[in-house]
Amino acid sequence: MDTHPANAGPRPFLWHRTFMNILYYGTIVLCVFFFLLPLLWMLLNALKTPLQIVELPPKLFFMPTLANFENVFSSQNFLQYIYNSLIIAGGSTLLGLVLGLPAAFSIALHKQKKLAVFILVSRMVPGITFLLPLFIMFRNFRMVDTYTSLILSHLLVGLPFIVWVMVPFFESIPRDLMDAARVDGCNVFSTFIRIIIPISMPGVVTGGILSFIFSWNNFMFSIVLASNRTKTVPVAIFNFISYAQIDWGGLMAAAVTITVPVLVITILTQKYVIRGLTAGAVKG
Amino acid sequence: MRMGDWYDRNAFWLLPSGAVIFILMLMIYPLGYTIYNSFTDWSLTHGDKVNFVGFRNYLDIFFRDDRFWGSVGRTIYFTGLAMVVEVILGVLIAVLFDAKDFSGKRVARSIMLMAMMATPVAVAMVWLLIFEPTAGVLNYLFKSSGLEALLGGKQLWITDSSSVIPSLVLIDIWEWTPLIALIVIAGLATLSREPYESAMVDGATPFQIFFRITLPMIAPTIGVAALLRLIDCLKTFDIIYVMTMGGPGYSSETLNIYTYQMSFQYFNFGYASALLVVFLCLVLGISLLVTYLRRGLEL
Amino acid sequence: MAKVELKNIEKIYEGNVRAVSNANVVIEDREFVVFVGPSGCGKSTTLRMIAGLEEISSGDLMIDEVLVNNLPPKDRNIAMVFQNYALYPHMSVYENMAFGLRIRKIPNDEIDRRVQDAARILSIQEYLRRKPRALSGGQRQRVAVGRAIVRNPKVFLFDEPLSNLDAKLRVQMRTEIAKLHNRLNATMIYVTHDQVEAMTMGDKIVVMKDGLIQQIGSPLLLYDHPCNRFVAGFIGSPPMNFLEGRLREEDGSLLVEGEGFKFVTADIHRDDLGKAPSPNVIVGIRPEHLRIAGSEEGESILNAHITVIEELGAEAHMYMSRRADDTENLISRVEQRHDYHIGESARFIPDMEHVRYFDADSGRALLGVIGPIRMSSRRSALSQDE
Repeated sequence: MDTHPANAGPRPFLWHRTFMNILYYGTIVLCVFFFLLPLLWMLLNALKTPLQIVELPPKLFFMPTLANFENVFSSQNFLQYIYNSLIIAGGSTLLGLVLGLPAAFSIALHKQKKLAVFILVSRMVPGITFLLPLFIMFRNFRMVDTYTSLILSHLLVGLPFIVWVMVPFFESIPRDLMDAARVDGCNVFSTFIRIIIPISMPGVVTGGILSFIFSWNNFMFSIVLASNRTKTVPVAIFNFISYAQIDWGGLMAAAVTITVPVLVITILTQKYVIRGLTAGAVKG
Repeated sequence: MRMGDWYDRNAFWLLPSGAVIFILMLMIYPLGYTIYNSFTDWSLTHGDKVNFVGFRNYLDIFFRDDRFWGSVGRTIYFTGLAMVVEVILGVLIAVLFDAKDFSGKRVARSIMLMAMMATPVAVAMVWLLIFEPTAGVLNYLFKSSGLEALLGGKQLWITDSSSVIPSLVLIDIWEWTPLIALIVIAGLATLSREPYESAMVDGATPFQIFFRITLPMIAPTIGVAALLRLIDCLKTFDIIYVMTMGGPGYSSETLNIYTYQMSFQYFNFGYASALLVVFLCLVLGISLLVTYLRRGLEL
Repeated sequence: MAKVELKNIEKIYEGNVRAVSNANVVIEDREFVVFVGPSGCGKSTTLRMIAGLEEISSGDLMIDEVLVNNLPPKDRNIAMVFQNYALYPHMSVYENMAFGLRIRKIPNDEIDRRVQDAARILSIQEYLRRKPRALSGGQRQRVAVGRAIVRNPKVFLFDEPLSNLDAKLRVQMRTEIAKLHNRLNATMIYVTHDQVEAMTMGDKIVVMKDGLIQQIGSPLLLYDHPCNRFVAGFIGSPPMNFLEGRLREEDGSLLVEGEGFKFVTADIHRDDLGKAPSPNVIVGIRPEHLRIAGSEEGESILNAHITVIEELGAEAHMYMSRRADDTENLISRVEQRHDYHIGESARFIPDMEHVRYFDADSGRALLGVIGPIRMSSRRSALSQDE
């Protein structure tokens, strides 16, 4: 308001700005480190020998070793667990898209509010509410420890999520486009396959990636429904710590192994992942 | 030709039929089955004889089960603490991010995203190592920096009943503050610049601008983000179960952990089913109540 | 050959909302018919019913004497151009145009021939490989038209196709569509809210308001003989001037007078005005029929003061008000150079033979259709009020 050049010269102003800048970037760096350090710690310790891990003060510079990874992959059926995780995450994502995309399209096209609310409420329901009855059902059908039971249970998370991401996406497609397809001779199904899905690829990718990651990361369903044959990586890692002596190096190596694919996908598809996670919360 | 017309006329139920069948078979039916079971005393440890016991399970839960009430209290403690910190911290980070354009913004955002997407079991493992009382880096940092007094003698983190929940909350904060931050950043990006410009022309200070303009405009977005977190916080399982399994004692046993133990530790299916129904009602009730309150307040 | 007939077509939405009531229109083969009206008048709904995108609540829709009410769009042999172009964003221009033919399983060489032909007509050959998002608004519009052309339909439907283009492009595309009509010799039905488009393009215009057809006829018929006050005000730019007045007999002549004016009605109007249900009338004068009087005397005079003068070069639009507070905008179109200024009072003389009269209560035209009128429809100035 009062900007007399005499008492508000450029110098104090600059000093003030520099101080604010330091404060600003300092806070940002602090935040970033807070979120980065545990992941870095995981990687660092995966490359240490058991002795180095418990050594205090912790060494930041050391000769990295891949021994932990070798241990994990040789002593455990780790490759089998990764394969199981891939089958289950892939299967539930595929099935989630096959069931979820048409349902989301129908909700958007026919304004099926009730169905939408229904599927979305299921997103609020604690997973364990379904887990116990499903466990009993699968036990009766002798389906515990099969890919089918795990894929179906992971679908409980993936399907509502795909619908939740896709409904707003489909709603934003201009009505004219569907009318044009009808005039061109399409019925609802060919419109869906030949027009709607191709132009919704960003949404499909978003829903698919996140559904895959949720399934890959899933622990609760897997620990109940998976056993020797279908054990997924998170369950395998959890089983490590039930040993009397914790092998921290192996544990960290396993943790890195399971986390790296997720983080690579996340970074590569960052735009889609953020869009999917913030879907519904932010209206443009 | 005719076939196409038939598809068109019946699309409204054909399209969602797959999802609906799935929901009926793997959500509705199990839910009904759970409600039915909750009126029985079915337990795998007591053999196959199943008796119908009416509301006895529910009466026991509400009037005899101290462990249940303890877990309710811990669930509220955990959720409340995590929510408050995450919302405040998330909004602050978002505002910081939105304030300026700086190089490395994308990298910083990626790192936050990584914390959120990393496999929870793996995350739990590394925090186990960090919290480790003797070899863990956290105690070492406090000790070597001379800030040990700040801890008030609580160096045991998750192995002490008085510090276990705040320690778990710390991990939840690490994991999920980015979600709130990212949602609010996205919300801020959609705001129109005009109100800011007119406020600056009117001579408002940065603080006035934040509290009078920014905050009211993104309040709905913050609300949705908080609601999403609330729903998930109440259901937190992976981190707690992997790190403490509800211990030491029952001191980190939230409702989700308790129902899990009742189901898959004790195989007490009847009683666990009743617990599940109560848990479900609680989560849905709180979620709907919050949704309703939000509507009443601002829309 | 494609003749489209709407017989008592109605559209009633849930909750008994009538979007279109009792629409009767005959669209002859090769005719260019424009449906025009303010937004929400039911014109687009009517078009969508013809297309088959909207169900017909009651009435019969005939294309070439065949009842098509229950045929899906693809079996009606129509093509449609949408307001927002509705191009498929994931397909190239070529594929956009070919899509409708592929669905119909037309051989590839035939598809190629038709697409190339259409592209040549619309001069979009260079863009065939591009995606729609790499095109300008005008180019997208051409592709949308091309998509309709390749189908070689019986009837072309246009739903406000030019409303997203800027003013200059709009005029250009207007003439191109008109040319296309001559070239293809197809039946075209065109919906717009812009009366200039309607006047310049239509062989026949259908004016709609609140779901009711107000009048059907050639552009000049509507201009010269609007059947009610709404049509009179809607067609023509600058719009017709309306003055509230009262009919009165004096010294053997029929006068109409009101605030600031007193006119002697033309002899040719006497019979019709004699049958007016009430002496309260609305006098309608087109701006070109209201000239500034200068020193000239006349028996019909309107007194007003000038509020705004718009000089357009070839002509000037003079806005005036009879009241001191300038709350009305009467307009006179002056074709000669003049030296009037804002604020001046002036006298205006109407061309009484071209003045129209409307009943003050119902708004209905009081004059019958007289004189030779160019008509392109056998159902001429049929009013369909209420």
